[in-house]
Amino acid sequence: MTITSDILRGHTETIILKHLMEKDSYGYEINKSIQDKTDNAFELKDATLYSAFQRLEKAGFISSYWGDEKTGARRRYYTITHEGRIYYQQNKEAWERAKSLIDSLI
Amino acid sequence: MIQKIRTYIQQAFVGVPQTKRSIELQEEIISNLIDKFNDQLKNGKTEEEAYQSVIVSVGDLSELTEGLKERHTLSPVSSKERKHSATIKAIAVILYILSPFALIFVSSFAQGQTALLTMFSFIAIATGLLVYNSSIKPDYIKEEETMVEEFKEWKAKRSKKNEAYRLLNSAYWLLVVVTYLYVSYTYFSWHYSWIIFIIALAIQRIVKAIVMLGDKNEN
Repeated sequence: MTITSDILRGHTETIILKHLMEKDSYGYEINKSIQDKTDNAFELKDATLYSAFQRLEKAGFISSYWGDEKTGARRRYYTITHEGRIYYQQNKEAWERAKSLIDSLI
Repeated sequence: MIQKIRTYIQQAFVGVPQTKRSIELQEEIISNLIDKFNDQLKNGKTEEEAYQSVIVSVGDLSELTEGLKERHTLSPVSSKERKHSATIKAIAVILYILSPFALIFVSSFAQGQTALLTMFSFIAIATGLLVYNSSIKPDYIKEEETMVEEFKEWKAKRSKKNEAYRLLNSAYWLLVVVTYLYVSYTYFSWHYSWIIFIIALAIQRIVKAIVMLGDKNEN
């Protein structure tokens, strides 16, 4: 399990970018979709998620804006930038290469 | 319970500078946790169970809060930049001090005019160096969008502008004096050449007004 979570943690940013490729989203929604896609087997810690947001935003891969919810608390939405899309593609290709290498080794 | 979640996050942010960025981050995390808490209740959990599961999933926030603390420290001016600036200032001061000696030295073998011009060129170069030095100083870059930071930036910009203006002004008046003496000596027109000062004053006022109007448009 620790190997699995270590590998997953290394791809937090790519996982977030993948979600934002589909639509703008906010923290909880992204984490919910991760849980749904993995049948509740995986969930990001909030600390990990928001640290990743901060890094991605600082690097210019995502940008954020406050939603205009009429009821309840305001949500901060994230949107992927053009650079973010390029970064996602690079990460995905790197992962594909690593995956095929590891498959041929173990 | 919602208040308990809020308090939990606020506790984690104790010691973090209260900037717009850190306050917004707290609000963002709290609002997402409340969403999650409400979802858990809908799924049939008790308030206590829902609270526990929300808090467990937060994880260790210290990486996040440490990052916000670090970013707030100011980047100091490098010692190399400081040395560079000190050299320029020193050269300027030397030129100021030497300018009267240049006058005496040159006047021993040349006409009065040439000697005078040499002195004023020394002064002009020295003033130019000081203007250059104050304009290469880095602007104060605001770290966070708070009122204090905005004020600091505004102040830094203003004092830099004022210094540059002061230096340009002194160089300008020196040039006016040079022109006055040169014209008077060359044409022996002492009886009316003083008008140069009045014209110079008018030009200075007009330039200042144009600059001020330009500033207003910027805002």
